[in-house]
Amino acid sequence: MDSLLVVLFSAATSIATLLIASIGLAVIFGLMRIINMAHGEFLMIGAFATVMLVRALGLPVLVAAAGGALAAALLGLIVELVLIRPLYGRRLVDTLLVTFGLSLVLFQLAVNIFGTTSPGISTPFGAVTIGEYSVSVYSLFLIPIAALLMLVVYLVFTRTKYGLLARAAAQNPEMASALGVDARKINKLTFMLGAALAGLGGGLLAPIVAVSPGMGQSYIGQAFMTVITGGQAFLLGTLASAAALGGVQNIVAQLVTTFWGLAALFLTSIVILRFMPEGLSARWKRQL
Amino acid sequence: MTELAGTRTGDDAVRIGSRNQRLQALVNWRLAKPVSAVTVATIAILVGVNFSLADQLKWTLWVSFGVVAMSLSFIWGKAGIFSFGQNALFGIGAYGYAILSLNLFPYTGETLSALIFAGVVAAAFAAALGYFMFYGRVGDVYLSVLTLAVTLILYTVFSSTAGPQYRIGEATLGGFNGMPGLPTLTFWMPGGSAPLEIQGLMIFAIGLAAVLYVLTSYAADSRFGEILSGVRDNETRMELLGYDVRFWKWLAFVVGGAIAGIGGGLFAAWGTFTNPSVFSLTQAAMVIIWVMVGGRNSLFGAFVGVVIVQWVADEADKIVSEQTPLILGLMLILSLFLLPNGVVPTILNWVKSWFSRTAEVSAVESASPQPVAADARAETGAGPVRHGVIIAENVAKSFGGLTVLRGVDLTFDEAPVYAIIGPNGAGKSTFFNVLTGRVSATQGRITLNGADVGAMPAFERARLGLGIKLQIASIFPSMTVRQHIDLALRARSLANREQLIERTLRDVDLWDRADDQASDLAHGQQQWLEIAMVIAQRPSVILLDEPTAGMSRQEKVRTARLIERLSASHRIIVVEHDMAFVRSLEAPVAMLHEGRVFRNGSFEAVCGDEDVINIYLGRRSNVVSA
Repeated sequence: MDSLLVVLFSAATSIATLLIASIGLAVIFGLMRIINMAHGEFLMIGAFATVMLVRALGLPVLVAAAGGALAAALLGLIVELVLIRPLYGRRLVDTLLVTFGLSLVLFQLAVNIFGTTSPGISTPFGAVTIGEYSVSVYSLFLIPIAALLMLVVYLVFTRTKYGLLARAAAQNPEMASALGVDARKINKLTFMLGAALAGLGGGLLAPIVAVSPGMGQSYIGQAFMTVITGGQAFLLGTLASAAALGGVQNIVAQLVTTFWGLAALFLTSIVILRFMPEGLSARWKRQL
Repeated sequence: MTELAGTRTGDDAVRIGSRNQRLQALVNWRLAKPVSAVTVATIAILVGVNFSLADQLKWTLWVSFGVVAMSLSFIWGKAGIFSFGQNALFGIGAYGYAILSLNLFPYTGETLSALIFAGVVAAAFAAALGYFMFYGRVGDVYLSVLTLAVTLILYTVFSSTAGPQYRIGEATLGGFNGMPGLPTLTFWMPGGSAPLEIQGLMIFAIGLAAVLYVLTSYAADSRFGEILSGVRDNETRMELLGYDVRFWKWLAFVVGGAIAGIGGGLFAAWGTFTNPSVFSLTQAAMVIIWVMVGGRNSLFGAFVGVVIVQWVADEADKIVSEQTPLILGLMLILSLFLLPNGVVPTILNWVKSWFSRTAEVSAVESASPQPVAADARAETGAGPVRHGVIIAENVAKSFGGLTVLRGVDLTFDEAPVYAIIGPNGAGKSTFFNVLTGRVSATQGRITLNGADVGAMPAFERARLGLGIKLQIASIFPSMTVRQHIDLALRARSLANREQLIERTLRDVDLWDRADDQASDLAHGQQQWLEIAMVIAQRPSVILLDEPTAGMSRQEKVRTARLIERLSASHRIIVVEHDMAFVRSLEAPVAMLHEGRVFRNGSFEAVCGDEDVINIYLGRRSNVVSA
């Protein structure tokens, strides 16, 4: 009984982690169709900013993670203005290439500034025991946090005027402009929002992962596969695929090793896409 | 682009001139590529043998990089497949060489078989991966991310193979540390085996690269390459012409995999080791940067890109050490903004524009008027074709929760021309796409000349005699007019191909532009070109989606006349908005409304119907759904 509970918690934590790492990309790639290869580096910058705020100012992790979101949003603003904006309307692969170059640059800059390893921060809240197992409270805490994050973003895109405009501007900028919407400004905001969500994700994950300049590389593949497997409904689809892929990853990781869990995540998504090339949400009525 | 009337004569002269030059070029071509490859390779070898041993090693390494870069140029530049995975295939080749050479070398005393095996195993892997990607019809963007994911999986898997249980025969995979101590490249000779020394390996590598280059460029210029260009330019049109796009992309990917694998084998032979870093993201980035800098549309540019990028990286490393990712990232960003086409195509364009300025003058001078065969204006290139029959039975289609077609029954078997009309949202386009196979119906049957085609993809229907003209001209912008028809003559024998092309093009008044690029044609001419392609397919049923959209009155009259002419030998179904045009077709009309056939009959009967008029006027209250 206890072991089953622990397994379930562990799977739910995996799913929550995957969702937290992917939600920023769901906005930038899922909604805006910008292939942001630097998504992992946005996570990494949020994580480093959080670590610094915790260590230097002694802020609680959640407050510091908000600082991480802010740092990533500022970077997102610069990236949008300098690199992404000139490429709107060019081939998709161009934004892929330019953000790929950016990710290499950011990686090396992080190595120059922080070194290849970081002191990291301790996981807050300690642990609880379930029967004979010990479970980290912070890991459990990520489950409601991920749910809350999902809910807030969903409400922003469905219930606010900005959300409506953002979807219009991302899907058809000419039409939105013709209706009097400043599509460029809205797209800039949406890109910043996606970057901020990535930074927040990095900050939230900082206490439970090894924060290093290379951490972006370990999340980029998972995040992309999650959003792609999710399909057109960029929020709920991502949620569904995070549940499927995170679940498989966790089960395989527990049975074999973490390495194989990751391989299983990729293989599952490739097989899903072979038979549902448009992703899990292809036939849903909801577009979000 | 509009053409100034004043320049026409000169253009014609150049065109005739260029036709002669084209012939000349065709004769020379078969020699040109090998000759230039041998020349470049010889120069590289002559320069290389004077290098220090360290530089010779570096040169060899660069050649192996150049080979994998060329594989990306081929699939990306030629077939439009952007893959992160070429380096992973390179890595598979390296491991393939390692595993086979460790197992075979003690017995055979040679490793050439391992090098060949490297290409084979990488091609096999590409074939398996390509099956998932292309037959699943994964989109372009997804494809690039999928290949990235596969690279990461391979990195993960090969890194976690430490321990003695991971061994294949004599070869231990070695986990993160990889496989050291491989035999270098060794040939079997009568009287003993001969391992290649550093210089010998360099010469062999350059020679091998030259051979691969010649073979690849031959493939790129052959009909295979032409089909790939068609797929890259316009996948939909290729499908409608009857090509199985999935297969051709898959084949290109497998060929690219074989090349990349041989590069990987060369790499393993060069270093006598391999480890999982061949699957790292940085390595995957390198291949893309080489090709970006060298120019994705140039196979030779791949090698130039390697030399430039590696040289800059090495020199930069002397100034600021260990900043390689930063420098590579900046090079990628800068080349994208400053030289989006890469170094080699940019230089070639300068050379070409300089040459064409001088060549234009001489072409005009030397052009002699060509006798034009007067009897060439015969029937359509197609010859007699029977009228096909297409039948839709109870066809329904819903998209998610939206039901668009609610059971359409229509038979097209008597009149030469049929028209399908209906107000916006009636389901016309969806019905058209269900007939073409671009959309699969939720239920119902479609029969084409007696065959049930309901479950067939578009290309198979095209092969059974369905010709489709889309609303927006669907052409291959980077190809010449002539190449369009060449592609459309998919299954024709080569014997009278040239003749068929000429006849078809004369039929639509495009013969004088046969060697022009399609993107230079006027809007109307592009529409005619697409119709010419459809005719060249020799279909028995032709589907036309709003053929007069965006046309002037005069063009509409011409189109109506063309439809009449074509209807002598083809069954034609027109989906149309323009009522005056439909009237001029004098064809039976089927009117769709809310996903059903609302009225069916002569134009006068349907359009005189009060309910029909009410629907068009939006007076819905007194309309009772049939």
